[in-house]
Amino acid sequence: MSLIATRPGPGAARAYRFPQVVRRTVAGGQVVAAHLPGQNLAVALLLLDGGAGREPVGKEGLGAVLAKALEEGTAQRDATAYALAIEALGTELSTGLDWDSFQVSVQVPVDRLTAAVELLAEAVRTPRLDPADVRRVRDDEATALRMDWANPGPRADAVLRAELFGAQHRWGRPLYGDPDSVAALEVDDVTVFHSEWFIRPGTLVVAGDLERIDLDALAATAFAGSGGGPVERGGPIDVPLAGQRRIILVDRPGSVQSTLRLGHPSPHRAHPDHVPMTLAGTVLGGAFTSRLNHLIREVRGYTYGIRGDFASSRRFGRFAVSSGVQTAVTAPALVESVGEISRTRLTGVTEDELEVARSWRAGQLSVELQSPRAIAAALTTLVVHDLPDDYHARLREQLLAATVEDVSAAAAAYLHPGSLTMVIEGDAAVIRDELVASGLGEVVDHT
Amino acid sequence: MPDSGFPWPIETTRLDNGLRVVVSEDRTAPAVAVNLWYDVGSRHEPAGQTGFAHLFEHLMFEGSVNVAKTEHMKLIQGAGGSLNATTNPDRTNYFETVPAEHLELALWLEADRMGGLVPALTQETLDNQRDVVKNERRQRYENVPYGDAWLRLLPLLYPPGHPYHHATIGSMADLNAADLATFQEFHSTYYAPNNAVLTVVGDTTAAEVFALADKYFGGLAARADIPAAPDGRTVPAAGSPAVETVTADVPAPRVYVAHRTHPFGTPGYDVTTVLATVLGSGRGSRLYQRLADGERIAQPDLVGAYGVDLAHAPAPLIATATARPGVSAERLRDGLADVVDELATVSVTAAELDRAKALLSTMWWRQMSTVDGRADTLGRYATQFGDPARAADRLPAWLAVTAEQIAEQAAELLGAADRVILTYLPEEK
Repeated sequence: MSLIATRPGPGAARAYRFPQVVRRTVAGGQVVAAHLPGQNLAVALLLLDGGAGREPVGKEGLGAVLAKALEEGTAQRDATAYALAIEALGTELSTGLDWDSFQVSVQVPVDRLTAAVELLAEAVRTPRLDPADVRRVRDDEATALRMDWANPGPRADAVLRAELFGAQHRWGRPLYGDPDSVAALEVDDVTVFHSEWFIRPGTLVVAGDLERIDLDALAATAFAGSGGGPVERGGPIDVPLAGQRRIILVDRPGSVQSTLRLGHPSPHRAHPDHVPMTLAGTVLGGAFTSRLNHLIREVRGYTYGIRGDFASSRRFGRFAVSSGVQTAVTAPALVESVGEISRTRLTGVTEDELEVARSWRAGQLSVELQSPRAIAAALTTLVVHDLPDDYHARLREQLLAATVEDVSAAAAAYLHPGSLTMVIEGDAAVIRDELVASGLGEVVDHT
Repeated sequence: MPDSGFPWPIETTRLDNGLRVVVSEDRTAPAVAVNLWYDVGSRHEPAGQTGFAHLFEHLMFEGSVNVAKTEHMKLIQGAGGSLNATTNPDRTNYFETVPAEHLELALWLEADRMGGLVPALTQETLDNQRDVVKNERRQRYENVPYGDAWLRLLPLLYPPGHPYHHATIGSMADLNAADLATFQEFHSTYYAPNNAVLTVVGDTTAAEVFALADKYFGGLAARADIPAAPDGRTVPAAGSPAVETVTADVPAPRVYVAHRTHPFGTPGYDVTTVLATVLGSGRGSRLYQRLADGERIAQPDLVGAYGVDLAHAPAPLIATATARPGVSAERLRDGLADVVDELATVSVTAAELDRAKALLSTMWWRQMSTVDGRADTLGRYATQFGDPARAADRLPAWLAVTAEQIAEQAAELLGAADRVILTYLPEEK
């Protein structure tokens, strides 16, 4: 056996080049495109201001039901004919929803992009929304959520969200709604939401070989028949921190693992400390080598994985830690997790840890510069958060320039171990006593 | 129709110790994918050692002669890279995608754990990763509704002693019994350069990779006598259906129908791939049209069919559906079986065939759109078929499949007498 003992250093650094971005206004809508020369696949994505944040309180899940209903036939063809037409191009209609936007997209070989966008626009702008179909889709979606909520996680997520943000607000309720909110939706809710948010032109995001794509024609197709202008999106929401730490126990009898969801509110996406704050999150719980994963998985063997991060949308954000741990070690896993959060707040990060975090996140920007899907997602970030064409290049510089002082200060300012809400979904009869004995905070049973 | 599913250059070499090296240059993004396929999977595990290949995969991240425990992850992520590894019945793969200037680091790390794992392997590391894997088993298979379906299907599809009879995750009892000496022996036996393929795709040249491969891997010794896994290519027809019904804490009845088809990479399995797409991929598929839309007995998000791409024995085709509220398991099972049966009797139309081929084309090009997707594909074809260039043949082979071939295969292999049926029933409350 002969191994080389000396670890090699890096070779000559390659320049980071985000693809050339093209922005245009066509037929009342915006086009944002990236040129990927030689790429055989292309993605077109229509971005609408119809995210979950636009759903009225009590109507959670409206966007998700509408997303499914778009494919139940259009003004021109029934559901089966639509499915056959779009799948014959090699794509399915892919829909996505977050707090800030609704996205619908197609991914096809570039020579089929025009035909695919025609079908995309047909479903978005002129869905049939037959009342019987909408009711059936709604019932199916409620059933699908019931299936999903039989897994560990969704109930704990919902409880955490309600505790952090308040269930009286839309953003204090689950992104996709819950089985009951979806089951209670009416046909009119869906058709009104469509007419309010899905007729406005929106933004067409395109990633592909622009020498083989007629952007103006594509945009004219996507925006045909649209109307109405942008609507005020609202500013950041001030979410108060909890006065004390609490444990909320969600019973899952017989569970062989306990699902941990720990969190507290954090700043919105455009906050000036976004970069150092998310780097602190990376050191604490973002990378495989993070403090939490190292201790809870690699040293203790309590879990298959644990992660923590800061996530944010235009109007609000949250810090959260999530994991599934073996039932017998629920309390020690929780105590040690809170310990790592406290330690990170108090003593900050080390240069060694930060070096990994910043080069990992900066390097990921290069690694992700590949598939049309990934480039389209990067363009979507520019649009949703009003960012310039060189945003990713500047982000890379900011990440690489972040100092231990910046990131430690962000950890001290934005980690609040004393205000954590700790939701534990597991076998309550088995774990309650030791959670009480842990002394981490009052233990409350979720009802 | 494209002539090739792989229109990029491929260059190969073989080191004196038998390590095969595959390079495909692509300067589009400033990144390289490094991928190692080791020709060892759970099919090599003898009775009493199930789950060992996968547990071993975990140990490969825990340090080697010149790399401290957990340093592998730290160095790759600290270089801006992504990394992971997977184990399946056929093989174990390890891969990282890094900014191109860190190629040499990735090769050094891979060489160090190929050639220098055993001296660094400790009882403490084994105990820790055994706990992690047991938690993986709980999280993925035991604590979720229907999570054990794959664990139940395999022994129904493959008889005792067959290399695919047991699942890769293994049994808790075997994992508990794992001892250090067995793992040291496992590494010495299978993690040899002549049992691996190193593939690099992206912002580099073949000359650079060949030189670096020789520098870092060239000093590792070949192993002469790597034992083969049991031969599983012939599976006797069962002659009667294998039926299992499980009552469990699940939210709705669910049915799986499964059949043994052909090994991945054969013309027969190309037919299976297209057949599965016609049957169960997308809203235009037969299962969706018949069960989710037509009769409306199945939940639309949970109906589908797929082949499992295994190369060393007749690979499984699996069709599944979950009942809508008020629909019985019997009705769902009959409906699902009817649609599978009709593949032999109701000819696939040109529109159905075109739809399936279009979806498969996009799926193929999506896999090819990243350097890591391409590297894993080349590693597979080099390992399993001896030539990475054969990757180019798969897409044209799918596109050449005919409706007649699908009907023939359905009649030959998908009959009720050779069927596996697994049904989940909710507990009565």
